[in-house]
Amino acid sequence: MRLLEAGERFGADLPEIGLDELAGSNAIVALRAGGETEAAPILAARERIGRLVVAFSGFKDGRGFSLAAILREGGFQGELIATGDLIPDHAPMLARCGFDAAELPVGASVEDWRRALGSFSAAYQPAADHAATVWARRGAPLKAQVEALNAELRDAPASEIVQAALTRFPGRVAVLSSFGAEAAVGLHLVAEQDASVPVLFLDTDRHFIPTLDYRDQLTERLGLTDVRSLRPVEAETHDPKGDLWRSNPDACCDLRKVKPLASVRPDFDVLITGRKRIHGGTRLRLPPFELVEGQIRVNPLANWSTDEIEAYFDANTLPRHPLTQGGYRSIGCWPCTQPSSEDEDARAGRWKGLDKTECGIHMPSRWVAEEIARRAS
Amino acid sequence: MYRYDEFDSRLVAERIEQFSDQVARRLDGRLTEDQFKPLRLMNGVYLQLHAYMLRVAIPYGELNAARLRALADIARRYDKGYGHFTTRTNIQFNWPALVDVPHILKDLARVEMHAIQTSGNCIRNVTTDALAGIAADEVEDPRPWCELIRQWSTFHPEFTFLPRKFKIAVIGAPKDRAAMRTHDIGLEIVRDDTGALGFRLFVGGGQGRLPHIASELKSFIPAEELFAWLTATLRVYNRHGRRDNIHKARIKILVASLGLDAFRAEVEEAFAALPKAPLAVPEAEVERIKAYFAPRPYAAAPPRFAAFDRALMTDPAFARWTRNNLRPHKQPGYAAVVISLKPVGGVPGDATAEQMDRVADLAERFSFDQVRVTYEQNLLLPHVAMDDLPELHAALGRAGLAEANAGLAADIISCPGLDYCSLANARSIPVAQALSERLSDPVFQDAVGEVRINISGCINACGHHHVGHIGILGVDKQGEEFYQITLGGSPDETASIGQIVGKGLPGEAVAPAIERVLKAYLARRDAGERFIDTLRRLGADPFKEAIYEAA
Repeated sequence: MRLLEAGERFGADLPEIGLDELAGSNAIVALRAGGETEAAPILAARERIGRLVVAFSGFKDGRGFSLAAILREGGFQGELIATGDLIPDHAPMLARCGFDAAELPVGASVEDWRRALGSFSAAYQPAADHAATVWARRGAPLKAQVEALNAELRDAPASEIVQAALTRFPGRVAVLSSFGAEAAVGLHLVAEQDASVPVLFLDTDRHFIPTLDYRDQLTERLGLTDVRSLRPVEAETHDPKGDLWRSNPDACCDLRKVKPLASVRPDFDVLITGRKRIHGGTRLRLPPFELVEGQIRVNPLANWSTDEIEAYFDANTLPRHPLTQGGYRSIGCWPCTQPSSEDEDARAGRWKGLDKTECGIHMPSRWVAEEIARRAS
Repeated sequence: MYRYDEFDSRLVAERIEQFSDQVARRLDGRLTEDQFKPLRLMNGVYLQLHAYMLRVAIPYGELNAARLRALADIARRYDKGYGHFTTRTNIQFNWPALVDVPHILKDLARVEMHAIQTSGNCIRNVTTDALAGIAADEVEDPRPWCELIRQWSTFHPEFTFLPRKFKIAVIGAPKDRAAMRTHDIGLEIVRDDTGALGFRLFVGGGQGRLPHIASELKSFIPAEELFAWLTATLRVYNRHGRRDNIHKARIKILVASLGLDAFRAEVEEAFAALPKAPLAVPEAEVERIKAYFAPRPYAAAPPRFAAFDRALMTDPAFARWTRNNLRPHKQPGYAAVVISLKPVGGVPGDATAEQMDRVADLAERFSFDQVRVTYEQNLLLPHVAMDDLPELHAALGRAGLAEANAGLAADIISCPGLDYCSLANARSIPVAQALSERLSDPVFQDAVGEVRINISGCINACGHHHVGHIGILGVDKQGEEFYQITLGGSPDETASIGQIVGKGLPGEAVAPAIERVLKAYLARRDAGERFIDTLRRLGADPFKEAIYEAA
């Protein structure tokens, strides 16, 4: 919608042509009408009205909004200009009801009007501006939302990616943390913005004791107020001897990690993870946003290098996981985690000796099933 | 419970930005007070007698623990440690500073709440039955439709500068527990002969100086045409409602002055002209919203309720509370629990921050993290397992919230009155307090049973006195407070407006007079009759005599 400065005086200069006088003439005319004017006669003569200036008699008088909407719905294609006792806060409504322009009152600030016009980035209900409604936009697949987020934020700093997740999906976001070797970075980034975001820790009952200590230490240091330890359900039934990891590590991961995480799926549409491309394997092409079975996974650290991580630890004097001293560069459950050497991938110590690189929590269930089938064959 | 997605969150955040900008423009004079007033009202900010008041929307009355705790926190940090729940299931804070309002709005946004359109000449918070999704007589859960209407009406470009305020209620059952017929538009979910879902559309209800019970405009509108009919009705009102006289600006006056048939013809003409496709209710959106209101993961009912039965036998206070404060739940083994905010001598509808926190805890523990606000200005825990009731009752007792008077004479609906309100002519709260003390005898209250008593401090009727079985209206006569009594009002599906019985009484005479009315009922009732039944059978005369007996 165009904003016309008061001096342009669109309304007042118009010849006072009544609708009656339109009969028998073929001229295209401009008319001025009060907000209370009946729409039907205007619509009847709509072909010959090139411009209609609708005068609002008071800033609380909303009749002009309905008039414009009715005219637009009725096929009026001429120019609609609002004038009269208007305030900037009318701007979004005028635009949505089908006005092409608003004539600002004397002394009004164009800047105020422009800002007011842009107050809202979306609208729920359909209106004469034919803007896509929130309802229609919601119908757009999540995939499209994720693509849009990646296009917008692929090269953004991690803090901006975290901020986008927290502000665009408030109340629906959790952080998934292993409280492992590099976990402090992602947790610090989130806590800087909101320490009350739920942090999910998969307490597999198979963690190194130092990991549990480190969890508590980081929780306190970062002021995290909602760390939730998710425990396996009915582990005694599915793993009575506690050695499932030995015979079937996939089933063990499923019991102790995949299922507990799935149980809180309804509570969170977005999970922030600490995964990075430098981890290698399936993570080499990791984007900042991805869709995993209808849940958005946010990877703010996707493109961080080892040096950047180290620098972040130092700059923020974050405590280290005690096991990093011993060469553990990626830390999971004790039975399936070993140190890795500098010339290996950081995650080389996970499920060492097995053709397994992921526990499955970051992958679609179909991928997990196919992997298990592949290894079995 | 409905949860915001990114669009909902962003729109609320953008509204806070917009309001902050409006406040800034007001402070440096770019907006006059006149221009600012409707804008602040549309964000819930009133100027009251002593301070600003902030009315926060509780859409269709639904809260969870996090939201209730946020309200408690606001009460503690920005107010004097309490809040007031209203008949339209909002909460009002009476003492916030204007400069704090944007901060409060941000705190609210964090728990997916807002104060949008809680006042002003726009479409207000949508209300519903507190037993939505629970009641056995329900055709369909009205809450998803309320949420849909909330979204449709939020920042509606055409209907934000209406002649006057506009209130919508939706019920899903034939029994009206939401005073639906006192609303500008009332919707009752029904099915037609083919089983298709739709609404009975009522229009023109309202209280105030000229009370009206809403009339049926359409006996059935298909669900997918809901927005088209709402648009048509509101458009006729926006175009033709009076703007010259604030007392005659509500839609009820337009309907009455045109006549229902002529008004209907106008709406039907407007409906016919509307483009139907863009206004069709989006099916996918309805399904998306409905998913948030799926039944809770209830436990199967045990063969017998051991803990419940034991407490019933051994604890008379518990037994009385279950008789009065439980509402049936369609899930076997569960009940809905009314938490009365009507302690003896208390302020109806007020809850302290500590009480809100306690109720939040109890909702988490006993009611799937859900709490509701009711039309009667009480709270409700919607899904409590029968065997949890004794523990819940004990916990409520410790918080001073186990008053067993829900639906009884002391369950008084009242506006804040002249103690807070700049419109009021008389005080409501002291009258309510005196009355609740006078009627505090539980034996008497139980004997009287179900009766609806409402108090308004002025003719605007926020205490819904017109539809109280017994209504009390504060008036000002040459600087003195007097109270007119009305009899025979009703807010339910048999809605009626109470009739004034005679000259007003001074404040101290009200409680004894009401007590005499209730005693007259006890003396004259037939078996099984409620107060309103006896009153309708006998007419007002015997009760009128009781009121003026002492005078």
